[in-house]
Amino acid sequence: MRLGRRNRQGGARHDRTDRCVADLVGALGPERVRADGAARHLASADASMFSDGTAGPVCFPDSTEHVQAVMRVAASHDRAVLPRGAGSGLSGGAAPLGDPIVVSTTRMNRVLEVDAEDRVAWVQPGVVNLDLSRQVAPLGLHFAPDPSSQQVCTIGGNVANNSGGPHCLAYGVTSAHVLAVEVVLSSGEAVVLGGLDAEPSGYDLRGAFVGSEGMFGIATKIAVRLTPDPESIKTLLLSFDSVADAAATVGAVIASGLVPAAVEMMDQRCVAAVEDFVQAGYPREAAAVLLIEVDGLSRGVEADTRKVAEIGRAHGGNVRVAADEEERALLWKGRKSAFGAIARVAPDYYLHDTVVPRSKLVEVLKAVYEIVDRHDLVAVNVFHAGDGNLHPLLAYDSRQPGANERVAAAGQEILEVSLAVGGVLSGEHGIGVEKRDFMEFQFTAADLEQQALLRRSFDPHCRLNPGKVLPSAHSCADVASLSASRPDGVWG
Amino acid sequence: MTDSLGLLGVDQAELDSCVACGLCLPHCPTYRVTGADTHSPRGRIALMRVVDEGIAPLSDEIVESFDSCIQCRACETACPGDVPFGHLLEATKEFVETTQRRAPWWLKLGLRGLTRPRLLRFVSSSLAVAQRLRLVPSRRMGIPERLPVRRRALRPTGDDVWLFTGCVMDAWQRDVHLATKEVVEATGTTVRPTGDAAPCCGALHTHAGLGDDARKLAARVISALDGDNAILVNSAGCGAALKDYGRLLDSDEARAFSERVLDVHEWLADRIDQIEMPDAQARTGGRVAIQDPCHVRHVQGTHMAVRRVLEPFVSELVELDDEGMCCGAGGAFSLVQRQLALDVRDRKTAAIDRAEADVVVSANPGCSMHLAAAGHAVRHPVELIAEALRSR
Repeated sequence: MRLGRRNRQGGARHDRTDRCVADLVGALGPERVRADGAARHLASADASMFSDGTAGPVCFPDSTEHVQAVMRVAASHDRAVLPRGAGSGLSGGAAPLGDPIVVSTTRMNRVLEVDAEDRVAWVQPGVVNLDLSRQVAPLGLHFAPDPSSQQVCTIGGNVANNSGGPHCLAYGVTSAHVLAVEVVLSSGEAVVLGGLDAEPSGYDLRGAFVGSEGMFGIATKIAVRLTPDPESIKTLLLSFDSVADAAATVGAVIASGLVPAAVEMMDQRCVAAVEDFVQAGYPREAAAVLLIEVDGLSRGVEADTRKVAEIGRAHGGNVRVAADEEERALLWKGRKSAFGAIARVAPDYYLHDTVVPRSKLVEVLKAVYEIVDRHDLVAVNVFHAGDGNLHPLLAYDSRQPGANERVAAAGQEILEVSLAVGGVLSGEHGIGVEKRDFMEFQFTAADLEQQALLRRSFDPHCRLNPGKVLPSAHSCADVASLSASRPDGVWG
Repeated sequence: MTDSLGLLGVDQAELDSCVACGLCLPHCPTYRVTGADTHSPRGRIALMRVVDEGIAPLSDEIVESFDSCIQCRACETACPGDVPFGHLLEATKEFVETTQRRAPWWLKLGLRGLTRPRLLRFVSSSLAVAQRLRLVPSRRMGIPERLPVRRRALRPTGDDVWLFTGCVMDAWQRDVHLATKEVVEATGTTVRPTGDAAPCCGALHTHAGLGDDARKLAARVISALDGDNAILVNSAGCGAALKDYGRLLDSDEARAFSERVLDVHEWLADRIDQIEMPDAQARTGGRVAIQDPCHVRHVQGTHMAVRRVLEPFVSELVELDDEGMCCGAGGAFSLVQRQLALDVRDRKTAAIDRAEADVVVSANPGCSMHLAAAGHAVRHPVELIAEALRSR
């Protein structure tokens, strides 16, 4: 794993690629294949800072048949294939290793069918998460998983990473909202996993596929569950003089038996950055703020709002309830822009993702600040407090000597602290390359071997997104050589 | 961070302010229609970086990535890090144009023509006559299908405010200037049209990378419009350009000039109670959909003023559901990047159809012509206001 600015090396490796490009163009048409340096350079990274490889030809299929055709060309040239959505991932899941053919799903962006009665929609993988919710809004429905990047990320990417989001506290993560997936396997065959019945018979291969990070196949159609909009929603902004008080409030709210739709925390530095952008009236002087949302039937929501406010005040918090939809939207815009607003702090960021038991939040947060200070970095904390999903943002400037190494070291220490208190490696960003080499911290060799077996049963040739998730000893790909020898660059 | 210049000559600190989070992607009209990272703001910035650092040559594909940008600047509104994308792209285009001279000859010739008002009006009227004789393939040339042969005179009534009349708009949409003057005068203010003294704001030159021409035009406009009077602008693109003279010329004089520039709606919004309102029957337009020109919404941020000013005068004001997405006009963009401009317009057309509007209002000549060519009934907001005032 290398942490740093993306690969920008030069070089050439033409013949092999040229024949492959010609076959791709033959199969898809010239308007759906880009083999130039500009397109390949941009497909060589996602929103993370992990980049070891270089994209090969970039394909823009419109249909399942196109994806099948790419897969067959890849097989005939023995080339790896990497699916890519909006490139908003944070674990390097869509950053190539080696020089795979990239399958961009951005043109497969149609909502194919909406069944308002059964609350199911069939969508293509390139549909943007928020676009789907907007499109079904007139029916009083929405797609519940709402990653902070929901205005840009695709449903296909959500499926690949089993993405979460603020509202997954009450509604569950992506897997709970995917009924069936049409998948193109590495053989080129298209299969449907799962089904629309309440209890599809047989093994839950759909469940295995969701979260497989582009290594089992490429989703070409997805049946998603649509969730009815709640009758009433209230959003509370609670501000505290200490992070500990905010964390204690989270514990007390959950302990009281309430299940808020979302419980989000931001520390002072984060509040400052987002407030500069949205001007939503976030209190800059608070050490930490909580954004808590309750929804459901009107009366229940009123009672819950009062209860949350009481608990907050009992912990020394100031409470503000968003007066209308506009104020509510602005508060959420702030929360969901946090990772981009970090540009106001430093030119590079590493957005971490671990989960710890709620009861350990205060302890772990303290350790995070200590670790980051010790490595002479800046930590901004913004996270899903309700389910203990931490997102320390380490802000830095990659051009400072040693900065990348310090970020990597601090990142690892944060992981170790999280695991030591009974946490897990990743909440929702996926493993990708970011956490691959830490998998052994959490899983035994036997665990990892079983995961590798599952992967090989979907993709026996190790063609799809090779070198991700599973560490070297358990990967079908030669991770070390994929990562160590950068392929020739795109500028030939 | 440093302010040093790399090979591309753009400000390093501005380039570094992008952390590549990707929140701009869905707001970019060209990324929306092609799905290609090369057609996204994040992608364009990444390509600026590799050229700037000398890693990649300025290849055809990279230039295409820059040229495919409509310069709507919706990405700036979406950006939580305040990346000055418009400025970066303008500087990049200027670099490309100075080193490679890629702008097509006919574009440069046309842009030069904009700065010569009498010639422009003569050519325009000749074209209009030729259109009547069916000698001109208007649609293929990307010009309005019925240009005016004659223009009604636009006479000054005093010196309270300037009305910036510009180039193409004065030649092709003089009626909008007349309506603007009428509405501004309804507040008890006298108006002096800028006319031929300040022939063109230079926005299109800046967008095409012709920085020297743009700076010369800016200096000419500033010296022609001296004094302290407010300068009202009814074209979104011109308003945005005039407000940017301070940065463009980087002088105190230019900054003071830019301070005087106001979008006409933002000026009217503060004086709306000085106008006698029409009663309900006099309201015009039927169901009116607002299409925000990008340089009103994303650059000047005066789109709410348009609503405040227009609302009392029309029967029903409706919003489009596309979050202020560009219509694809982009000044000369619709001429140089025809297919992209049409693909982007298709999305706008769909939004307008969903709104089931009788008429679309747009406060920018480029947008209104581009939308009219798709068969929409398009008016400038002030035209509807003027009509309502007349029927009081």
